[in-house]
Amino acid sequence: MPLLCLKDATIKFGGLTAVNKVCFDIEKGDLFGLIGPNGAGKTTCFNLITGVYEPTSGDIDFLGTRICGMAPNKIAEIGICRTFQNIRLFGTLSALENVMVGAYLRHKTSLLGGFMLTPAVIKETAELRKKAMELLSVVNLTDVANSRACDLSYGKQRRLEIARAMATDPKLILLDEPAAGMNPYEKDELRSVVFKIRDDYEKTVLLIEHDMKFVMGLCEKIVVLDHGEEIAYGDPSEIRNNPKVIEAYLGEPV
Amino acid sequence: MSLSKILGTRALSVVLAIAFCFGLDAFVTGQLNEYVVRLVMLAGLYVTLSVSLNLINGITGQFSIGHAAFYMVGAYSAGIVSNAIYKTQPLAAPAYMIISMLIGAVFAAIAGLIVGMPSLRLKGDYLAIVTLGFGEIIRIIVLNQNQWGGSYGYAIAPKYQAGWLIWLLAIICIATCRNLLKSAHGLAFLAVREDEIAAQAMGVNVTKTKVVAFIVGAAFAGAAGALFGHMESFVNPDLFKMEVSFLVLTMVVLGGSGSITGSVLAGATLFILPELPRIVSFKMSLGLLLSVLLGIGVLVWMNRKFLEKYHEPDKVKRTLVVAGANIGLVVLAIVVGKLLNNVPVFGTTNYDANKIRYMILAVVLLVIMLLKPTGLLGHHEFSWDWVKRVLNRNKTGEASA
Ligand SMILES: Nc1ncnc2c1ncn2[C@@H]1O[C@H](COP(=O)(O)OP(=O)(O)OP(=O)(O)O)[C@@H](O)[C@H]1O
Ligand SMILES: [Mg+2]
Repeated sequence: MPLLCLKDATIKFGGLTAVNKVCFDIEKGDLFGLIGPNGAGKTTCFNLITGVYEPTSGDIDFLGTRICGMAPNKIAEIGICRTFQNIRLFGTLSALENVMVGAYLRHKTSLLGGFMLTPAVIKETAELRKKAMELLSVVNLTDVANSRACDLSYGKQRRLEIARAMATDPKLILLDEPAAGMNPYEKDELRSVVFKIRDDYEKTVLLIEHDMKFVMGLCEKIVVLDHGEEIAYGDPSEIRNNPKVIEAYLGEPV
Repeated sequence: MSLSKILGTRALSVVLAIAFCFGLDAFVTGQLNEYVVRLVMLAGLYVTLSVSLNLINGITGQFSIGHAAFYMVGAYSAGIVSNAIYKTQPLAAPAYMIISMLIGAVFAAIAGLIVGMPSLRLKGDYLAIVTLGFGEIIRIIVLNQNQWGGSYGYAIAPKYQAGWLIWLLAIICIATCRNLLKSAHGLAFLAVREDEIAAQAMGVNVTKTKVVAFIVGAAFAGAAGALFGHMESFVNPDLFKMEVSFLVLTMVVLGGSGSITGSVLAGATLFILPELPRIVSFKMSLGLLLSVLLGIGVLVWMNRKFLEKYHEPDKVKRTLVVAGANIGLVVLAIVVGKLLNNVPVFGTTNYDANKIRYMILAVVLLVIMLLKPTGLLGHHEFSWDWVKRVLNRNKTGEASA
């Protein structure tokens, strides 16, 4: 059974069909790429999968259960978490607290206990903090753990978003343009982080990226969208030589 | 920190809090005049109100400005129930207070739930308008209930002025919010404030978080209302007008949205501030008034411009220069005022400080907002760690100097 399965997923905004009958399956352990020109509907696809929007028609299944119409927090709970293209960190909270919010999803104590700060809550808070610290070290942000998220550099904010999403213990992690605005050195670092997430933490990764070199070197399977339609599917070498893809990216070497 | 140490600190804080409440009562009642006692009790109620509104506004980021409504629901519901049982049940007064507090809290919590609902769909200004409207609707409904005295007012039995209980409630309210922020659960509330969409994507139940904030915030305001009702033993809808909501909101913003310490300080002082002219009641000549306003204007302007331009690495020297300049300006303003008094019109037109107390409050607010837009404490909290850090910083500063 595939981990995630899109069946003719479609969404219309008024007259605009942002995503049109898109189908693809993601297997456990995949490093899956989603590419396409600007406005192709990639982010909208993420929004469909994470429950921000409900598809106009079609189905999305995760581990065999239909997740269309589920609240985003429920979807996070069953194991899909994401990062945002336009970074959405909790600005005035520290980097560590940002990751702790992610880790908080797996809390066990009651909110009433939180108001009374019971020993169990104190213990759990310390555990969540420890887990968050660990994830910060995975993305090399240990030294800025106590800085406010909004004070971090762009590249660090992107990595912090990844750590925060990882903290929710997802089965599938969606990365929306994680390398945007990063310099070549940071991109190399990011690549190793993504491999670490997949290989050491055994997560399945679905990522959107415009940097072709980055995607081709990282992903094993790629879906290409254009104007909301799926125009190609395959491994990097197939995508590179697909005439439709070349046409969509007109002129750009793929 | 080890668990036993934490629990030890906890036990100590509880003992200190109770000692404080009873100490305050023993000291205040009988020692001071009735008016001051009343002020101390009202200040306690306002601390509860501002800290509980801070939970909704500052911590969870839901811009609610109808807090007086919860205060009112608490006062009336507790009063009605208490009146009903007081005639038949001869209990000791403190017992009534506890029952009333619970009743007030429960009814206000229900009101909080009702107001919390729109917050699930509305944000910012829109939510503010709805909460404001809700507050007025409740007040006007009560105003038109003849069985509760309408605009004339409603008598509540028994009359009981429990300073210790009022401050105990304030402390419980502070402790509850503080606990929340110290636990991971508090992060969910802060996350909702910072970015709802991101919070929900991280699995935070935004609906539940907002509703809980409204319910808990309203419940504390309701409990405060219940104590207020018994303290006054007579309430009318005019006591719960929009002004009360705005005063409480001002306290939260001024103290620094989200900072519990800020809300407490602002709650206690801002309430007393407009009362001060009543206590000291002095007359102010127009000349003096003008020069004070002028002095404040220059003070604000100078502190902003000056602090931007003035780069002095030595902290101590910098502080001295800034403080010196400020004091100099105040002295200058007083001198100008005295001189202005010699002009016939300025010297003979007098204002009663009591009459312009709300103007004084407005000026103070303006100044603080101009000098420190994030509020007195920003997002900071008082803690012993913080005190230690400041002390250490001074020590290392001295060593290096
Ligand atoms: N909420 C919405 N309402 C109306 N139109 C929308 C909405 N969200 C997205 N769209 C439209 O859907 C189309 C696809 O947008 P989307 O953000 O998914 O593109 P993208 O592939 O992520 O592009 P980019 O590479 O620039 O991020 C765009 O034309 C966009 O304007
Ligand atoms: Mg996009």
